[in-house]
Amino acid sequence: MRNAVAAEWVKLRSIRSTWLCLAGGVVVSVLGAVALGGAAAMEQPAVQATEPAVSVMLFSQYASITLAVLAVTTEYASGTIRPTLQAVPVRGRMLAAKSIVVAPVLFATGVLGGAVAALCAYLVLLAPVFPAPAVLDPAEAAADLLGLGVFHALIGVLAVGVSTALRGSAGALAALFMVTLGLPLLLVMTGGAVALEVSLRLPTFAGMAFLESTDNLTGGPLPYPPGEGLAWLAAWTALALAAGHAVLRRRDA
Amino acid sequence: MITLDRLTKRYGERIAVDGLTLRVRPGAVTGFLGPNGAGKSTTMRMILGLDRPTSGAALVGGVPYHRLDRPLRVVGALLDARAVHPGRSGRAHLLALARANGIPAARVAEVLERVGLEPVAGKRAGTYSLGMSQRLGIAAALLGDPEVLMFDEPVNGLDPDGVRWVRELMRSLAAEGRTVFVSSHLMSEMQLTADHLVVIGRGRLLADAPLSRLLAATEVLVRTPHADDLAARLAAEGLTAVRRGENDLLVAGASAARVGDLAHDAGVRLHELSPREPSLEQAFQELTAGSVEYGAAR
Repeated sequence: MRNAVAAEWVKLRSIRSTWLCLAGGVVVSVLGAVALGGAAAMEQPAVQATEPAVSVMLFSQYASITLAVLAVTTEYASGTIRPTLQAVPVRGRMLAAKSIVVAPVLFATGVLGGAVAALCAYLVLLAPVFPAPAVLDPAEAAADLLGLGVFHALIGVLAVGVSTALRGSAGALAALFMVTLGLPLLLVMTGGAVALEVSLRLPTFAGMAFLESTDNLTGGPLPYPPGEGLAWLAAWTALALAAGHAVLRRRDA
Repeated sequence: MITLDRLTKRYGERIAVDGLTLRVRPGAVTGFLGPNGAGKSTTMRMILGLDRPTSGAALVGGVPYHRLDRPLRVVGALLDARAVHPGRSGRAHLLALARANGIPAARVAEVLERVGLEPVAGKRAGTYSLGMSQRLGIAAALLGDPEVLMFDEPVNGLDPDGVRWVRELMRSLAAEGRTVFVSSHLMSEMQLTADHLVVIGRGRLLADAPLSRLLAATEVLVRTPHADDLAARLAAEGLTAVRRGENDLLVAGASAARVGDLAHDAGVRLHELSPREPSLEQAFQELTAGSVEYGAAR
């Protein structure tokens, strides 16, 4: 297993798309956090600087998702999946190794990107146009940043599972976009009570509940505790991995 | 040693590999011949555990591929030279494979040197020519210093120097006692490289014999005005004679001398008596006649 993980790490770091996605995620986080922080500061005093950095995860998640999708689908597109499986013929082990590599990379980027974004928001809110500077409560900030890291890691592993099941970049990205944004919005728009409850438990809203993001699309805090949000997110991730594993085992490479 | 036991692969109605049973032995280059679509690549993918057999088994050194702990140290294979991420350098591609099987990184430099790819190892694989990609694929196959090597059409895209190099490489790997299994649809290439030949058509085994025996299958062409009489006489001796035109017979499995003696005994006049040693090309065409997947209309 350790060998398979080492191999996946070499593969992940040796393609440019990985680094572009990581950089893109940080840029989106910084710009989004500054914009959302500025907007919040106009309405309320003493904004916690990590709060806008957390809210922006709605957008920055797509950098993590794209990184994870490409780590899988480019293997199929280029045919590298065959040398990969020749070296690691136990398919579940290959999938596990990919997840084990993608998760900490995205965790670290989530934490660091969030920290940079929060710091930028904090500095911008020092400007005299804003009624009051932001606050940066260390304990709260640490919890927010760790949460961000966990969210990005889980959404990335979810994307690994979905991409392994679908194999193509376009299909995987479209499916993930539907699951994380299209479907929850559609369900909210139907206005049905049950549809809303379902929507709130799909990965994006589950992640918001976990991170206690108040700047979400429903306009208020989510109606269940953070722990439950984490549980839902983890459950979707596990389901995606199981689907990926089932396809990987059954289909010819 | 590669062992196939009634190996079969179906894609819906179509049967790609049909009950293939054979052993590929160490210390020799075994050519794997067949027309395009005969099932060569599918067979190789099943040996490597990439495709799942519909029935039957493919074993390497007595075990299924997926049971091998560090498979690259046992089997090295080049299936498709282009199967490399175009944005990854040749060196990183090999390093990932090495890491996966606990092969030291120094070995990557060694195989790059051996295939002559060292100068471009840091470049993105997408910029490689087909010949360079083939060399990278061969480097990957050699990485684990394996006992068993499989190459699917390894000389495709190589220039004459490259072709000679691959030929010598395969000969030397076999001379070191390794099992070398090489597929090709080029008979002329196999005639120069292989010791033993396995010929398949439409997924079925057509021949499994030493190169020398396939080449030694001589025939004798006889031209005589009394073809019917001679054919009867040959049939009485248990020989098969195929009519080719009004006066010609093609006799298999007998020497020219024997056919001449029999004709003399039967009082049949001969106008021509000539042994024909088929080239491998001919032997192959006869073996695969009727088994060409996408044959041109005649």
